This record gives sequence, structure tokens and C-alpha cells, in this order.
Amino acid sequence: MTRQTQIKDFLQSISFRELTLTIDLLVSTYIGYFYLSSLYNATQEQLASASWLSSLLLQVVTYSVVLMVLSYLLLTFISDNELNQPLDVREKQIDLVGYKYKAHILQAGICIAIFQYQAQVNDWGPAIEYSVPYLPLHVMVAAFLLAEICSYVMQLFKGRTGDIYE
Amino acid sequence: MSKCAITNSIRTLRFLNNEMTQKQLAEAIGVTRQTVMAIEANKYSPTLEVAFKIAAVFNLPLEDVFQYHKTE
Repeated sequence: MTRQTQIKDFLQSISFRELTLTIDLLVSTYIGYFYLSSLYNATQEQLASASWLSSLLLQVVTYSVVLMVLSYLLLTFISDNELNQPLDVREKQIDLVGYKYKAHILQAGICIAIFQYQAQVNDWGPAIEYSVPYLPLHVMVAAFLLAEICSYVMQLFKGRTGDIYE
Repeated sequence: MSKCAITNSIRTLRFLNNEMTQKQLAEAIGVTRQTVMAIEANKYSPTLEVAFKIAAVFNLPLEDVFQYHKTE
């Protein structure tokens, strides 16, 4: 089998659902990169400012909504009526596997944020050591974004390999 | 613990039925083409309902389409 045939076979094997998941993954990864790079490049004054932080969160939400709407509009034009079809049992199982990983990451994020908050109140921990205000909030946002990315990656991986039994 | 494996003859049966495509079979049984691909590759065991639907498409009994192997 030539490389050209392999590529053609691969492209034909991509479902509309995989394409949607890939776009969701790319959007989430970009949002995650935007959020983390904004935090990394922020000054101490900006990190300590509640108004700067709320504007950053607003930007994250706005970017998410705009990019999702644009990507779904694009997908609507190229869909082969697959948008109207309900998920079959296998796809629902893959969805559940994705949700399981998502739930684990969110739980871990919430636990770390609570622990972080307690540590901050007691004047110790990374928030005090590296002087990062609102660290519990950043932990929760990062956990949310990571959970989204992980869920999409797992769904794509399980869908592609077919190994959905855990 | 014993491992269960279900194999099938769907690929052959599709070929014998006027070279039916995976998409045509998927539409006939109400699943996606990727699910048919996964079933054919023995990566996914279909539900009982889907298995019966596949057998009905080929007008064959279930055991002629799916084979159960018990391996240690």
C-alpha cells in the first residue's frame, strides 16, 4: 500500500464526529495556551488585580464561544447530514469514557484548589512562596481546561483504536 | 480469568451481498460507519440488538455472522 493510498484511507476513515472532536480539541488547546501564556506574561500588579483577572476570564469565555460558534458553522457546511444523526451505543460508551477522565481531573482540580486555599489562609504554600494571588481560582480554571482537553483526546484515542473497554 | 472473543464474517458477507459498502450497512442498522469498521476489525462487540440487525440485513442466523470463541 502506497503512502498516498494510506493517507486517502485515513482521510476516508475520519468521521464527522472525529472532525468535531478535533476542532473542539484545537479550540480548547488554544484557549488553554492563551490563558496560561497570559498568566505567565502578567506582571505582579496584574496578577494581584481583580479587574485584570476578571477581564482575562471574560476574554477566555468570549474566545471560547466565538471559536466554537465559528468552527461549528464551518462544520455545518461540510457535514454529510451526520449532525442530525443520534449517537450509537459505541459512541455513547466512548463519550462516557471521556467524561470519566474529565470528572477525575475536575475532582483533582477542586481538591487541589481547596487545599491551596487552606494553605494560603495559613500563610504557606506556593501562593505565598511565589506570591501568586488567586491561585485556587487559577488551579480550578486550569483543571477545567485540562479536563476538556483530556476528554477530547481520550474520545479521539478510544474512537480510533476501538479499545473502549476499561 | 478466561478471555472472551467474538469474531465475525461481516466483511465476507458484505462482499457476497453485491459488495455492500460499510456506509450502506451502517445506514441499514442505524449506526455510524466507524462502528461498522470497529465491529469488522473485532475491536468492538456490538450490542445484541445491532448483532441481530446485522444478521437480518444478510438474512442469516446470528451464529453464521458472529462466532464466539472462549480462550484461556
